[in-house]
Amino acid sequence: MSLKNKLNRLKPHLSIGVPSGENQESIQVEVPSDLINHDIPFSEIWRNENVRPYFFDNDYCLVREVVYPLTYKHGNYRFEDAVKAVKLWNEKGVHHPLSATGHSPGDMFFFDTETTGLGGGAGNTIFLLGHARLGVDSVTLKQHILPHPGAEVALYQSFLETIDYSTLVTYNGKAFDWPQVKTRHTLVRNHVPKLPSFGHFDLYHAARRMWKHKIERMKLSFVEKEILGFERKDDIPGFLAPMIYFDFLERKNPEGLLGVIKHNEMDILSLITLYTHLSFQLLGEDKNRSVREAFEVGRWFSYLGNSEKAEETYASIAKGSEVEAINAKHALAFEHKRGRNYTEAVCLWEETAEAGNLKVRIEACIELAKFNEHKSRNWQVALHYCQKAIAELEPLDSEIKRDRWLEELQQRVNRIVSKMERNESNKTIS
Amino acid sequence: MKFRRDLQDIIQGLKIDDSIKENIIHWQTIDEKPAKNSDMPEDIHPLLKQSMEKRGISQLYTHQRTAYETASKGRSFVAVTPTASGKTLCYNLPVLQGIVEDETSRALYLFPTKALAQDQKSEINEFIQEAGLNINSYTYDGDTPANIRQKVRKAGHIVITNPDMLHSAILPHHTKWVSLFENLKYVVIDELHIYRGVFGSHVANVIRRLRRLCQYYGSDPVFICTSATIANPLELAERLTEQKMVLVDNNGAPTGRKHFLFYNPPIVNKPLNIRRSATLETRWLAGEFLKNKIQTIVFARSRVRVEILLTYLQELVKHKLGSKAIRGYRGGYLPTERREIEKGLRTGDIYGVVSTNALELGVDIGQLQVCIMNGYPGTIASAWQQAGRAGRRRGESVVILVASSSPLDQYIIQNPDYFFNRSPETARINPDNLIILIDHLKCAAYELPFTKGDWFGTTEVEEILEYLTEERVLHQNRDKWYWMNDAFPAHNISLRSASQENVVIIDQSDVAKARVIGEMDTFSALTLLHDEAIYLHQGVQYQVEKLDWEEKKAFVREVAVDYFTDANLAVQLNVLEEDRLRNREQVEIGYGDVSVRAMATIFKKIKFDTHENIGSGPIHLPEVELHTSSSWISLDKEFASLSKERFEQGLIGMSQALKHIVPLFVMCDPQDVHVVPQVKASHNEKSTIFFYDRYPGGVGLSEKVFQGMEVILKETLHMVENCRCQSGCPSCIGSDTSAETAKADVINMINLFLLQAK
Repeated sequence: MSLKNKLNRLKPHLSIGVPSGENQESIQVEVPSDLINHDIPFSEIWRNENVRPYFFDNDYCLVREVVYPLTYKHGNYRFEDAVKAVKLWNEKGVHHPLSATGHSPGDMFFFDTETTGLGGGAGNTIFLLGHARLGVDSVTLKQHILPHPGAEVALYQSFLETIDYSTLVTYNGKAFDWPQVKTRHTLVRNHVPKLPSFGHFDLYHAARRMWKHKIERMKLSFVEKEILGFERKDDIPGFLAPMIYFDFLERKNPEGLLGVIKHNEMDILSLITLYTHLSFQLLGEDKNRSVREAFEVGRWFSYLGNSEKAEETYASIAKGSEVEAINAKHALAFEHKRGRNYTEAVCLWEETAEAGNLKVRIEACIELAKFNEHKSRNWQVALHYCQKAIAELEPLDSEIKRDRWLEELQQRVNRIVSKMERNESNKTIS
Repeated sequence: MKFRRDLQDIIQGLKIDDSIKENIIHWQTIDEKPAKNSDMPEDIHPLLKQSMEKRGISQLYTHQRTAYETASKGRSFVAVTPTASGKTLCYNLPVLQGIVEDETSRALYLFPTKALAQDQKSEINEFIQEAGLNINSYTYDGDTPANIRQKVRKAGHIVITNPDMLHSAILPHHTKWVSLFENLKYVVIDELHIYRGVFGSHVANVIRRLRRLCQYYGSDPVFICTSATIANPLELAERLTEQKMVLVDNNGAPTGRKHFLFYNPPIVNKPLNIRRSATLETRWLAGEFLKNKIQTIVFARSRVRVEILLTYLQELVKHKLGSKAIRGYRGGYLPTERREIEKGLRTGDIYGVVSTNALELGVDIGQLQVCIMNGYPGTIASAWQQAGRAGRRRGESVVILVASSSPLDQYIIQNPDYFFNRSPETARINPDNLIILIDHLKCAAYELPFTKGDWFGTTEVEEILEYLTEERVLHQNRDKWYWMNDAFPAHNISLRSASQENVVIIDQSDVAKARVIGEMDTFSALTLLHDEAIYLHQGVQYQVEKLDWEEKKAFVREVAVDYFTDANLAVQLNVLEEDRLRNREQVEIGYGDVSVRAMATIFKKIKFDTHENIGSGPIHLPEVELHTSSSWISLDKEFASLSKERFEQGLIGMSQALKHIVPLFVMCDPQDVHVVPQVKASHNEKSTIFFYDRYPGGVGLSEKVFQGMEVILKETLHMVENCRCQSGCPSCIGSDTSAETAKADVINMINLFLLQAK
């Protein structure tokens, strides 16, 4: 039997991941016969989009370059604000994973890719590498486009030739974009320059820290809309990008792909705005920073072990009268405890043990019990706070947490009671 | 006074007791065999020597020495090693020596299961530690924590994994494994004989992908395989790795004294030649050993049998040992459950285990004294593997094969010579099965683009690449084919199951906490998970409340009933293309492609102890269609000069008998080749018996049947003639025919056929 017949016969058993709704007409593989002359299909359209070919190793890739003035406003900020942010970091010298201290604006490399599939793996091709850089009076955006799968050497050559920055700024690039660049680069590593090592600001994690209380999904487009004051028009959703690229490979007409290119461009511009906004938030320069945001900033500094900045931030909120003020006081108390300023801590907890939400009230009681048991040795009071905490446990949602706390508290009660008894008997003996 | 009897006492008892003695058809005592040693090779690193000496190894067995020397010359080999013959040194020694000599070199170990990989890691790490060497060996599987994965990739000298992991996690991410692929010196494939049939055909393609990447990164590893005794280890190894191999089979390991008993249950109905149930006899025999706390392993042929025996035995010794002392072990259990059982066997907390062939593999469960097989496992190789479970580390041991009334069992038990003297079965794979090949071509293209003129292993693939381009999976640009699809192909391809989709089994006894307790391939699910089926898991009975065929989910609930269920499958067969034909006057032997349409029809409820039929019901499931390869024999019915009815009965009887003999000749599980009679086949209008591969596209089993048809018929004739019944019984031509003349007719028909086929 001929192989063709066999293949057709077995078709029902062959799961060929063809996307549904896609028509099955066979593909005319277009091998440009005059490629040696580098006659690029639809070059007129490309030219209108500021796209130029880049030739290397008997092949080519496409490079799009766009320049924006620093005064250009993307969302709530102008690009010059990003320059200002870098300056501020340098002036204040604050330690933080996103700190640009020691960097000039031009060192930052705002970076995003588009790929033919989701997830990592050797076969997931990057067909678009886009990046932007802050210049003296403008922002230069460059996009390196893969015109066909064989042209990766040219793609990475053109990409690597132009990068001399020290810090990547991405959105989830630590987990996805950069490892994928490494993967694909490995496949052409003998033909192109080495990948430089970079610092890396992944703004996805920063955004999660700051706004997960506010936004359900941390997709960049949601952050733009909810936080950055930027809304996309006619945007092509990212998940369609692979299909559009496959279609482009067949028809060579850039029409659909231009949408993806635009999408990538917006992603990168938003990275600049997002970095600006985050910097202003962290440095306390944003007048519109909400109390909750300030609270998250405080938590972040606290997490990083920067008590000074944490206390400063919490204290600024604690003055207010919002719900967050109580939370801030509560968090501030922990900072005081860490700094062994027990008096201040106890003072705050005494307040939050009454006025906080359920979890805060319980935690405050526990902390006060600890303090009175170990520090002031005021066991009667310690016992009181234990019992108060136990009384609060009932409505707690998390069963695990409730059980754990209950167990801890009961142990504490037992310990305190036995301490009291021992003390009592000691007294009698003496 | 002695309450407990030891193994010797029981062996004596078996010899003396009249009621037992006459059931033991054959008693083979295999004497202990002394070791054949060879000096330690000169060039082995002193630290390695020392480490072995610490473990009491100052000399090598002959086969270990040959293995070492072969590997040192850079030649790939396959070592045939029976259970407990020190096979691990066959690969650990050359591999470790290789790493000592060149610190950058790497090795990849493949074991068919995670459990085996874990075992091996502990063993090799002990070796390394005692030698005080700085060599990293890691397992890499689904359980490996994310934080050490990177370390394994970058710095693991020895990476121990399984083919599934290689297929779905290592090869598709090869760029993260550059240092492994660039420096790969050895690939070790343990338990080679497992890689046969569908699984073997998949793994052969995984190895094609591995070698393709090695070539890309500039390495050319030596392959070291170890195999249990099969007829064609060299052929299998060469087919699997597509490498020239050396056969190492000068086994020098000693073995302990072993009693191998063939036990045939007594006849309870003379005219029909019906014997007592093998399961009941197995229960009784196992009970005798277990009651005396003698560690015993019982092998059963099917998952259902495992569960039935387990229920029996747990009940039997509940008061003496506690029900936890006897456990079941089979594929459907979840991994944690299985690990726990393996450990219990090693530590001795568990006395008995009832298992399917899952424990045939070299999982280290320590020393068991007795092995009882409930029914012949289907192949000689498999039987020896199971027998090896008893007395692995020398000492006396007992193996009892309890025959069922199936023709194959009766054939084996009445022909001990056949079992003890014939060379074991041939393992077949077909890496070029189109379905399997295409699956792996997709994965391979994902890993690296194909260039015009590229071969995939020994197969030319341009036509398939073009097909995949038409299907929009690949994209051709100039002379290369690139993966151009957003899928991750390895995720949709399972190396193990015949069908790609599995049915998940969900226990909803506790509505609030429904949980997944196992899974099963769709073809088996037709007959085992239909509505109202009794599904057994760890001895617990579940009734299937609903089989959601669309969603591939079976919802079950725990029940307590005294029956199990057994389903019938109706099959329709059409020949699509005749590839080969041997035509005689009135006989035809053919081979080609067929379409099989199978439908589960009814199920019967069968009572546990008596095995009587106590009810039945219909099964409403859609027809399942299968395109596969098949061989067949056709007869002109006029030629047998029999009445229509007798001829049809004869045909059914003949196919029943053939069904049981075929697996003997094609090393496979009995359910891998189906035998189906048709009174009038649609393609040639003749009475025909079909033998088809159960896997879509076929894996070469039916082709082997085609080649050996005459031998198969001769052996079948032999079996039927030698059966002691008068007019046909379940042990030869099955019980579906009731005609007095059936047996004579079957003999007659096979004879006529053989005459013609000459």
